[in-house]
Amino acid sequence: MKIDDNTVIGENGTVSCAHCAAVLGESVAQPLARALRRERPPADAGPGVRADPATYTDRPLVLRQLFCPQCLVLLATEIAPADEPSFRHWSVTR
Amino acid sequence: MTYVIGVDTGGTFTDAFLADETGRVMAAKTSSTPPDFARGFLTAIGDLAAALGVPAEQMLAQTSYIVHGTTSTLNAIVTGDVAPVGFLTTRGHADSIAIMNLEGRYAGLGSDQVQHMARTNKPAPLVPRHRIVEIDERVDYKGEVIVRLDQDGVRAAVRGLLADGVEAIAVSMLWSFRNPAHERRIREIIHEEAPGLYVALSSDVSPRIREYARSATTILNTQVGPRLRQYLVPLEAELRGLGFAGSLLVMQGSGGCVSAADAPGHAITTIGSVLTGGVVGCTQMAGALGHRHVISTDMGGTTFLAGLVLDGQPVMSASTVLNQYTISTPMVDVHTVGAGGGAIAWVDPGGNLRVGPRSAGALPGPACYDEGGTEPTVTDVDVVLGIVNPDHFLGGRKKLSPERAAEAIRVRIAEPLGLSVEDAAAAVYAIQNAQTADVVRKVVVNSGQDPRDFVLYSFGGAGPVHAASYAADLGVAGVLVPLGATAAVFSAYGLAASDIVLVAEISSPANFPLPPQEIQLAFDGLEKELRERLAAQRLEFAEVSFVREIDMRYTMQMAEVATPVPDGELTEEIVAGLGRAFEDRYEQLYGPGSGFADAGLQVITYRLRAVGQLPIRPQLPAPPAGGGMPPARSTREVFLDVRRRWQPTRIYHYADLGTGHELSGPAVVEAPTTTVAIPEGCQARVDHLGNLVISYS
Amino acid sequence: MPIIPVAGSERFATSPKTTAELRESVTGVRLHDIPPAAVADLDPLTYEVVRHRLTAITEEMGDALKRMSGSVVVTDCNDFGTAIFDEGGDSVQVGLVNTQLAASLDMAVKWTLENRAGNPGIGPGDMFFCNDPWVGGGLHQNDASIFAPLFYDGELFAWTGAACHQVDLGGVSPGSWSVAGRDVFWESTPVPPVKMVEAGTLRSDIEDLYLRRSRVPKLIALDLRAKIGANHVAQDRLRRLIDKYGPTAVKAVMRHMMTDAESRLRGKLRALPDGTWSSVAHQDGARAGDRAIYKIVCQMTKRADRLTFDFTGTDPQVEGFANCTFAGLRGGIMPIVLTMLCGDIQWAPGGLLRCLDIISEPGTINNCTFPAGIGKGSVASAWATQNAVSECVAEMLATDPEQAKSLMSVGCGTWDLALLAGVDQRGGGFVTMICDSMAGGLGARVDQDGVDTGGLNCIPMGRVADVEINEFSFPILYLWRREEADSGGPGRFRGGLGGSSCFIPHDSPIGGVHLVVSATGKALPQAPGLSGGYPAGTQYDVLTRGTSTRYSFAGGRIPATLDELGGDRQVMPNHAETDMGPDDVYYTHWQGGGGYGDPLLRAPDLVAADVRAGRVSAGAASGVYGVVLAGHGTVDEDATSQHRTQLRRERAGVA
Repeated sequence: MKIDDNTVIGENGTVSCAHCAAVLGESVAQPLARALRRERPPADAGPGVRADPATYTDRPLVLRQLFCPQCLVLLATEIAPADEPSFRHWSVTR
Repeated sequence: MTYVIGVDTGGTFTDAFLADETGRVMAAKTSSTPPDFARGFLTAIGDLAAALGVPAEQMLAQTSYIVHGTTSTLNAIVTGDVAPVGFLTTRGHADSIAIMNLEGRYAGLGSDQVQHMARTNKPAPLVPRHRIVEIDERVDYKGEVIVRLDQDGVRAAVRGLLADGVEAIAVSMLWSFRNPAHERRIREIIHEEAPGLYVALSSDVSPRIREYARSATTILNTQVGPRLRQYLVPLEAELRGLGFAGSLLVMQGSGGCVSAADAPGHAITTIGSVLTGGVVGCTQMAGALGHRHVISTDMGGTTFLAGLVLDGQPVMSASTVLNQYTISTPMVDVHTVGAGGGAIAWVDPGGNLRVGPRSAGALPGPACYDEGGTEPTVTDVDVVLGIVNPDHFLGGRKKLSPERAAEAIRVRIAEPLGLSVEDAAAAVYAIQNAQTADVVRKVVVNSGQDPRDFVLYSFGGAGPVHAASYAADLGVAGVLVPLGATAAVFSAYGLAASDIVLVAEISSPANFPLPPQEIQLAFDGLEKELRERLAAQRLEFAEVSFVREIDMRYTMQMAEVATPVPDGELTEEIVAGLGRAFEDRYEQLYGPGSGFADAGLQVITYRLRAVGQLPIRPQLPAPPAGGGMPPARSTREVFLDVRRRWQPTRIYHYADLGTGHELSGPAVVEAPTTTVAIPEGCQARVDHLGNLVISYS
Repeated sequence: MPIIPVAGSERFATSPKTTAELRESVTGVRLHDIPPAAVADLDPLTYEVVRHRLTAITEEMGDALKRMSGSVVVTDCNDFGTAIFDEGGDSVQVGLVNTQLAASLDMAVKWTLENRAGNPGIGPGDMFFCNDPWVGGGLHQNDASIFAPLFYDGELFAWTGAACHQVDLGGVSPGSWSVAGRDVFWESTPVPPVKMVEAGTLRSDIEDLYLRRSRVPKLIALDLRAKIGANHVAQDRLRRLIDKYGPTAVKAVMRHMMTDAESRLRGKLRALPDGTWSSVAHQDGARAGDRAIYKIVCQMTKRADRLTFDFTGTDPQVEGFANCTFAGLRGGIMPIVLTMLCGDIQWAPGGLLRCLDIISEPGTINNCTFPAGIGKGSVASAWATQNAVSECVAEMLATDPEQAKSLMSVGCGTWDLALLAGVDQRGGGFVTMICDSMAGGLGARVDQDGVDTGGLNCIPMGRVADVEINEFSFPILYLWRREEADSGGPGRFRGGLGGSSCFIPHDSPIGGVHLVVSATGKALPQAPGLSGGYPAGTQYDVLTRGTSTRYSFAGGRIPATLDELGGDRQVMPNHAETDMGPDDVYYTHWQGGGGYGDPLLRAPDLVAADVRAGRVSAGAASGVYGVVLAGHGTVDEDATSQHRTQLRRERAGVA
């Protein structure tokens, strides 16, 4: 079953990459456990980030992304405070 | 013998109407011939001559004028088959036509579409980015030049656009209606670079505040102008070659026409021409019959059109929406709803019975057309209820299949709802009528009027099948179905009966009251412009009249209300009277106490309408006299009323009816182009022009 | 200084009860009722005809309100809400405009039934005014609502209501957005339901009490009449409908409309997989000078045919004006439920709300207690709630090929406020919001880009005033109003572009204009992407002092970039209040929509077209989308393929 543009979930709850079939996660609770994670400064998101965040805030910010370990397709992107865990997750049962 | 002719080129049919001074009329109907609509036009002319029994050359030699309503500009815009154009605008504002004030994403869409937000889109851009060039120039709200015109920049821009192959250039600068000098200089420069190139200035096409609509209108004008010119010039030449020495006039959305030479410069005003013919026809008919207020309704296969005639004049609207673009051209206000005879009845996922807005279209069409359509439509319901005779549809030219109709209703509606086929059909008929009544009511009420003051005129193939029923819901004074010589070609009759109508306007926003001289000055300017244009039509007018109005509003409000301005000299008292007239009209539209004068009034736009009355007015012939009850051809069971269900109903043929005949419901009158349903409780009478007039007892 | 609670204020902040519950508790007025069989007996014909009429009446209310109003936000921007309710305040039909208001008007009606039926009483011809967001009716004090009971045969049959944003209702800053405010006492005083019209007569004493607080009382008075007029229109039409079909049939239709919407929504939910989706929405700065970042956490769970929105983990309420009340939280959920889940379902919130559960702690930033500051609530925490809800719902819909077509990534993440006050060209005082930021970018979709300058998620029929209308009405001159390249979140499908406006004071009798600025999303973007898609660009506002604009004008040039302005550039913090002098230029750049999917999967031709049309810069085309362009802006296929392979590795941090 399709989860989104990049991920599918199998009968047994295994989550795989929709593009190269690599396994991304084996349990419903941790669907992207095997994804590659990278954090970079928000400016790396491109010219859409118009100004240095330090102009407006004292908290550190980070561009967080998840990638398929095999084909390196981009699975998730967020810009969030670096001192916070990510609050974006999902867990789907059939 | 002098003739006047109206030719209405629609998407499917080309209708023609001819009248002479003695009251003799002829009608012709032929298929339209897109993309070369001129062929169908000339065929219709030939058919008229054949009906007269004279050679076409002789008829044309004696024709004073031909009024042509053409769908070609509307078609061009809707299909996108328009000239490639360039657009020049003030630096910093090229994106105005892309931003579209946001409303472009949903303008003109029905509420079910708007609700489904993720599926809405803006229409394709009017002009691709590389053909829009920004120019350094700036005029402010007072008309003062803040930045002078960069003439070298204009020249370079024009050369670039010409190299890119544009056929025309649209020019729209901010506040140009206040000070058109820059736009006019730009046109001069363009013509230095390319003499004769089609150029439209926003200060000419639509000198009204609100730049987005003004720019869109000017661009659309440029897209259809050259093609209209390319269509009309050879058409006129062919007519001349056939001996036509009169004037070729083109119908506009204003409810009047202009000469074919003048039309391409204001081509955008012709987009409404096929829609307005019907309303103009109603205006003429209403004048002949003494009906002051008329609701004009035209129900065809796909669409339902409604317009109003008030105090003998079509109700106008300052703007219209086409392809989700806002066009600021004053036009006869015609409301279009997708709710014609082809509207599909369906059961939604919640198990509710719905009618429309989807339509079966021409192909495969209603199920009863037996061309592969399986969804039940309003026409199928009309057949199953016995109202429409399957053997006499379109004068017998098309045989309908009642079995297919019943089957479609059974499978899609009756069975899912647990109803009999007849009850399902009756429910669809009633829902269609209630929805139509809602649409018409909204049109009337939004004009500040009461339906009880109106007579409803119903034409179009599907209209009279339903009119008496839905009009009962409205409480109108009566229903009139044109069935005489004009019936099949009612819009073409409207064309032949129209006058030259020119509208000029200029926005000059200011606080009210203002000195009478300022108002007079604005109108003087507009009158001068219109007199020049009237003279350029090269026609003899029986009479020329002018009507003045000003769009006024309460400070900061969106809705401007057109306030009539009396003829004659303007004094301070008269100006003060305008304010009172605005407030009265405002309350009439929006309820007592809805206005608040303390917020202040403003004048926004001055508008002048010139009517050049053409000397010939088609007289409609009287049908043969009848009297008392006409002979019925047959009887059959018809289901016209949910409470009374199937009733034996007398069937009349129109050919048997004459002036003075009276009949009462339940009855059905079958005519070559339509069927008229007369429910129980209604009386119908044939008037001296051959119309069927239905009243409620 | 912490927000000091006010004892007794709890009675204004109750959770809305259903009609069935109110019928038990309300005394002093007879509520109309029908036997359950009446709904079952409803025939399809009557149902469809009356349902269609009720929808038409709600639209007519909106038409009337729009034509009568004097607020540019109503007339030119369509920021208003209308609704018809049953006797107990359950919403039967809401209009298509401001969907936030659709989720708070019912609360005000219900509170009025519970608290005013006895004293002063509710009778025929009465109309109530409310702008207290703890009670409901709106999401902040600028949202002023008028709602009215409809009596038929001595029983309270239904309610009608209209609400819209009023440009100024008092408070420390013009426009009632007190950017330096610490609590609600800095702001416009919230007024719980009061009888504004009594037995058909507008009460002058109550009207004066209301108008006295505003800097622009004449315009407020005009709008008051507009709202009263809209209610009159609705009640007149409803009365005729009941006269024709009878109260039982009309009420049965109302009940069925809600039940039908409810069962259709349940059906849709059942067809989707069970699961939990969590997201977060951030807001930078809760008042002027505040450099903190706050979070609203949303965990949405779908089990069978129910949706639960759990906001546990949301930050506590803050000193500032960005909090919102429970009405705001609801007003954040409703727009997404309506536009994404109910695109093809009757908008009858009374039924739809039965499918939803809300878990939220009072005292949090989107469920604040009195007297927390809420002046900006509607576009701050309510909107941020909407962003978080939008992500969760969209992710749920993405699992179903058919339903996925109704989803969008988050659109423009907040309202970009530029509020001006001063003296206009004609010498009159004015206060106005520049509503150009209505033209936010909408989020990308699963099969196409987001609509550029397409609008705001919560106002499906929003509108922007023409430049000429703004220049006529206010003493400003626009250097530009345009779409902004790179403001749409990159993705396989790109988020819609946002835009910018740039203007200078012009012909102000006092030389300049007073400016109030309030826009978050500057430290970090507020319109995230989905499925790998990037967020939209950040908000960016710049006030440039002492520019050379007039010199440029005299030299025949209109500056087209910030650099060309010269002068002294000041990047605006989130919130500020200042005065613009005659050579100062304000530039405001609002947000676009988030992207969908991996930008390295975007068809290169589309990227090339975006660059040609100025929607994406060459730098972003190469650096984010990995597309290499050849001559004439066409795609170099081989170079692109190689570049994308390399970028894939670089961005993942793989050698």
